[in-house]
Amino acid sequence: MLAFVIQRVIQSALVLLVVGLVAFSMFRFVGDPIDNMLGQERTQADIDRLRSQLGLDQPFPVQYVKFLGNAVQGNFGVSYRQGRPVADILLERAPATLELAAVSGFLAILIGIGLGVFTAIRREGFAANAIMSLSLIGVSLPTFLIGILLIYLFSVELGWLPSFGRGDTVRVGGWSTGFLTESGLKALILPSITLGLYQMTLIMRLVRSEMLEVLRQDYIRFARARGLRERAVNFRHALKNTLVPVITVTGLQLGSIIAFAIITETVFQWPGVGLLFINAIQFVDIPVMAAYLMLISVMFVGINLVVDLLYFSIDPRLRADRTKAH
Amino acid sequence: MPRLTTVLALCLGMAAPAQAAEFTWAETTDPQTMDPHAVNSTPVLGFLNNVYEGLVRRNKDMEIEPALATSWEPIGEGDGWRFTLREGVTFHDGSDFTAQDVLFSYQRASSEQADTASWFAPVSEVNVVDDYTVDIMTTAPNPIFPDSIANWMILDSGWAEANNATRPDKEAGNHATLNTNGTGPFRVTAREPGLRTVLEPFEGWWDEAAHNITRAELTPIQNPATAVAALLSGDVDFINPVPIQDTERLKQNPDVKVIQGIEARVIMLGFPHEAETLKFSEDVTDANPFADARVRRAVAHAVNVPAILRTTMRGNAEEVSQLVSPAMRGYSDANAARPAYDPDQARALLAEAGYPDGFSFGLKCTNDRYLNDESVCQAITGMLAQVGLRATLDAMPVQNYWPELRADNYDMFLLGWSPGTFDAEHPIRFLAATPDEEARLGSWNFGGYSSARIDELLPLIQSEIDETRRQAMLDEVAQILQDDMAYVPLYVQPLIWGAQANIDLTQRPDNFFILRWVTVN
Repeated sequence: MLAFVIQRVIQSALVLLVVGLVAFSMFRFVGDPIDNMLGQERTQADIDRLRSQLGLDQPFPVQYVKFLGNAVQGNFGVSYRQGRPVADILLERAPATLELAAVSGFLAILIGIGLGVFTAIRREGFAANAIMSLSLIGVSLPTFLIGILLIYLFSVELGWLPSFGRGDTVRVGGWSTGFLTESGLKALILPSITLGLYQMTLIMRLVRSEMLEVLRQDYIRFARARGLRERAVNFRHALKNTLVPVITVTGLQLGSIIAFAIITETVFQWPGVGLLFINAIQFVDIPVMAAYLMLISVMFVGINLVVDLLYFSIDPRLRADRTKAH
Repeated sequence: MPRLTTVLALCLGMAAPAQAAEFTWAETTDPQTMDPHAVNSTPVLGFLNNVYEGLVRRNKDMEIEPALATSWEPIGEGDGWRFTLREGVTFHDGSDFTAQDVLFSYQRASSEQADTASWFAPVSEVNVVDDYTVDIMTTAPNPIFPDSIANWMILDSGWAEANNATRPDKEAGNHATLNTNGTGPFRVTAREPGLRTVLEPFEGWWDEAAHNITRAELTPIQNPATAVAALLSGDVDFINPVPIQDTERLKQNPDVKVIQGIEARVIMLGFPHEAETLKFSEDVTDANPFADARVRRAVAHAVNVPAILRTTMRGNAEEVSQLVSPAMRGYSDANAARPAYDPDQARALLAEAGYPDGFSFGLKCTNDRYLNDESVCQAITGMLAQVGLRATLDAMPVQNYWPELRADNYDMFLLGWSPGTFDAEHPIRFLAATPDEEARLGSWNFGGYSSARIDELLPLIQSEIDETRRQAMLDEVAQILQDDMAYVPLYVQPLIWGAQANIDLTQRPDNFFILRWVTVN
């Protein structure tokens, strides 16, 4: 067991190193940060001076090793654009993204499971078919288009909800939350629908197909034969067994929600880490880009590691080191 | 928002203050820093003009008027300028404004760490005569010096020293990056970079406040469609800019208004004057046709600027014949005519230069720097093809673009230039003078255009006190640039702002949004 854990952790660390290397080598194609940092009256001497100050004149491997050395100590450098430590900026922006992702995930699970069960039970009904057809839109429309359409409908035409931003936030310790003010809650609605729509349809279709599978099982027939009520059969017996694979997929989707938040945050000017990353690309803010990509990869690698270890502890077949012919 | 204030006032059983109002606005770019000497860019200087002040400021018509200095006069025969300072001015933290602050701000803004050092290239020294008199000495007579320092903002020396911000710090930032202490009409009461910046009127401001704003908030909104939606839904009172494709729609909406004007920025085509050969040509590999003025002139006649303005810019811009717009000081009326659209003339010139069938080459363009830049380049590519100039367009984001131009990877390029001093001398210094690193000349003259006569005239223009003689020299330079077709000026970029119908404001060609001229009705 311990050997397996150590092996997986080492693998994860290697993945992170490779991701860092690829990301770092790509920054050279994003452009040159110098022009953004100096005004139009700069001279070549100013350019050269700033370049050497930022260490951009050093060979790529040197820059990368330096970055890694600092990152291991939790030092991600200073943002070129804001002139502040990147770690501070990320901490400032993280709550917005995490709250948005949490609300989106919650909505996606709640509505996805509800509609999934409904469309499975009423397989032939008109409403179920309508929902299934509509769900195709959720899968096929690009996120930014959904966002803009929602803004135009609910903000411009109806004037019910804010068109951008996070509303008023309240600071609780080091965390800024939008859950405690009316404008903050209102501001969450459109972006969380935009971000969660794809996951919602995914969960819905998954639940539906699993549920249909389960409803065909023998024990459901027996339950019906025993004269149990339809509701008890559907929710107590069938849904419970449906949810096992759904939970796994949902867990894996959590990372995607946070990563996909970039587009939604751009459309709604949502002040999270995704918007920060987009701004960083436009400005060639290398320290911010590097830190964000490392953060996202740590998250994905971490989620996968946890899932692997959970499977390992659940499924005896995976314990390769213990399989012995009896 | 104004309604809310009124409701609150009524609830509290008191009369609402006379038309006081809260104001929110959105810009594409958040000001990078609150330090007035760290970054020389329009978003930063434009915003900080509401917070800090210079010795002089520009009025609604871009003319220089007194600000922290009440008057100024030349010293001797052009040895420098004496500024008489305004008495009784206080900074936002209550400390007094004196000549020491001017001296300190000069040292700070002209230091190596500052991005504004080039403004002080003509200055030899600054002498404090007494608390309210400062002499700024120049190495040569400098008639436009007072005009060139409207954006040189004065910091409080005591505040900067107490907070370890005596020099700007571009790389790591310091206290002045996030905090301000100016003398201007508004104080920054909250600053969250990239999210929001809140301004409140400074009660102790020395001048008469003409606005009626009680609180103003700036939020950056990058996505143009979101910004327009925010304006239409009433979430913001003002946006800058309005995307060109949305102007018609907004004009037809009675709740909002579109404020249009002409910016200081001239959009032009540039050429590789010094290159031996073309870099991206399939048929001309041993020569550089663009070194021939006739070929450059052919380009000028082949591009149908009126058509570009009608279609791509939807009637929102004006043609231009030289490197500055008519709104700038020193504009040459004598050279106001630009080459007419004349494809036959273009073909004849090409034949005369030895390219009767034209040739192929590479055109470099930005796709995120100027309004509709990529579409304009696509239109130009099509127009040039009509006369046999077959361009391969390569459009890219601006952060990749400048390094490409610096490395001479182009056969023709698009460039926009906005003169920081609002004077015709500025583009001559940066775009037309022979590049000379030591003398800080021609630093954006990528093509290496060189004219001995222009190089000779430039220092004379810089030190000529007499307006008429100075204009004559500027006219001569404009004439030379037109004869040589060093650049092909196309049009002046438009400014398009959007606001709620109840907002009165003033648009200035430098694209600065001046809050003290805003009234909420």
